[in-house]
Amino acid sequence: MKKLILVAALLGSAGAVGAQSTMSVNAPAPPPPPAVATQPPAPAADMKAVLDAHASLAPKPIETLSPLRARLQPSAADATRKVMRTRGLSTAPDPAVTTQDLPYGSDPMQYARIYKPVAAANTGAPLPVIVYYHGGGWVIADVNVYDAAPRLLSKQLNAIVVSVEYRHAPEAKFPAQHDDAAAAYRWTLQNAASWGGDAARMALAGESAGGNLAVATAIYARDNGLAAPLHILSVYPIANSDMTLPSRRDSANAKPLNTAMLAWFGHYYSTSMADQQDPRINLVKANLRGLPPTTIVNAQIDPLRSDGETLAVAMRAAGDKVEQRTFPGVTHEMFGMGSVVRGAYDANQYAVQRLKAALNVR
Amino acid sequence: MKTLFTAAAIAAATLAAPALAQVQTPAEYVATAGASDLYEITSSRVVLETTSDARVREFAQMMIDHHTKSTADVKAAAGRSRVRPAPPQLNPTQAEFVTELRAETGPARDKAYVAQQKASHNQALAVQKAYAAEGTAPALKTTAGQIVPVVQSHIQMLMAM
Repeated sequence: MKKLILVAALLGSAGAVGAQSTMSVNAPAPPPPPAVATQPPAPAADMKAVLDAHASLAPKPIETLSPLRARLQPSAADATRKVMRTRGLSTAPDPAVTTQDLPYGSDPMQYARIYKPVAAANTGAPLPVIVYYHGGGWVIADVNVYDAAPRLLSKQLNAIVVSVEYRHAPEAKFPAQHDDAAAAYRWTLQNAASWGGDAARMALAGESAGGNLAVATAIYARDNGLAAPLHILSVYPIANSDMTLPSRRDSANAKPLNTAMLAWFGHYYSTSMADQQDPRINLVKANLRGLPPTTIVNAQIDPLRSDGETLAVAMRAAGDKVEQRTFPGVTHEMFGMGSVVRGAYDANQYAVQRLKAALNVR
Repeated sequence: MKTLFTAAAIAAATLAAPALAQVQTPAEYVATAGASDLYEITSSRVVLETTSDARVREFAQMMIDHHTKSTADVKAAAGRSRVRPAPPQLNPTQAEFVTELRAETGPARDKAYVAQQKASHNQALAVQKAYAAEGTAPALKTTAGQIVPVVQSHIQMLMAM
């Protein structure tokens, strides 16, 4: 009998296949999910060139690594710069935009990179302000990796872009990232004027995990009496915790993001499996009523494609104004590849036009 | 009973796995830290060839000095930990970073350098902090702990650049 109880106890804890990690960056990777044979659709030739460049930098599969080792892997942005360099393009940051790093909290991770167009320096007219959240599944990457999109938005919209760094998991687990995102939005509302920004013309934006934060922060603003942003740009967000979504299967083996990586991120950012059902992560089940007009951008070859598509449906059902587009032949992370991938350029231009209209930029 | 025993064995094996942290091995830590230092020194030399920005010049010279010292410190600690370090080698991404720097001229090279420094120092800090917290070779662990505040001071300087 004693043995039986012991067995039950062992099974009870070990049975939690999705058992969550410790807060160490050396915490081991979770067991891999079952392999899926389905191969993703072929990328466009220019998209494939970036994926090939990524492979040439010898990345190890993120889903097999500890967070520390995962943070040392080459990024899609590294691959994009390599393609730019081989085509004779400059990989240096566009000097049409300057940056300044400022803290918004006491943790070293709580700072923001403020992008400001040089052309606006002497006009004196207050600029629209976009608060942008980077991706990386809340575990990897940072404001340095996600430089392309905020820099482009600042230049093309003649806007201040506040690219928010936030505490990462597993050192700080959910909802630390959502708390930081909200704090950074509040801080921006209070300080935008001192940077030459117009706090009455704000938008929220983000990619991937940051695309989730953009929507979740708009919900936070609605529920906490903060000024609402005029628009949300959510690029391939994490928004639906249903692991049977079509894109989870058809893009299970896509690159640079695969379905196994989504489980890997969850293993590190969640404290318990219940976190996956929290409406801040599972946005499709959140109260979405009364949110600002929203643009959702997706890539065809991306396990998160269905997240954006189902979020658009859920927001429309809640009465929000939503436009959603899925760009063919491109993958997750494409939004930072507009200089070398046509589909990404199209997605950039679409997002810029939507934000121009929303922020009343000529 | 046999089934139960098997179940228990599987459960025990599954339980045992997560208990072991995937800390870098001493040799892996030494190689990673060495590559990171080599990238810092190489890229700083490249920018010093062309920069006319006094702030960039001063920072790059400091990077050469500090990262030459941390390489020597890690090498000495490796000896005390009975790890024989191979000569450091850039990883493919670090080699690409250096190639990209060489492809830029004038102020664009300065800007590319600063952007690369911000990215690479965050990675360097992650490596040193992780080994300082849970490293298995005591001499290397102590050295990692001494390098952490140096890297943090570089990050503070970069925040103003």
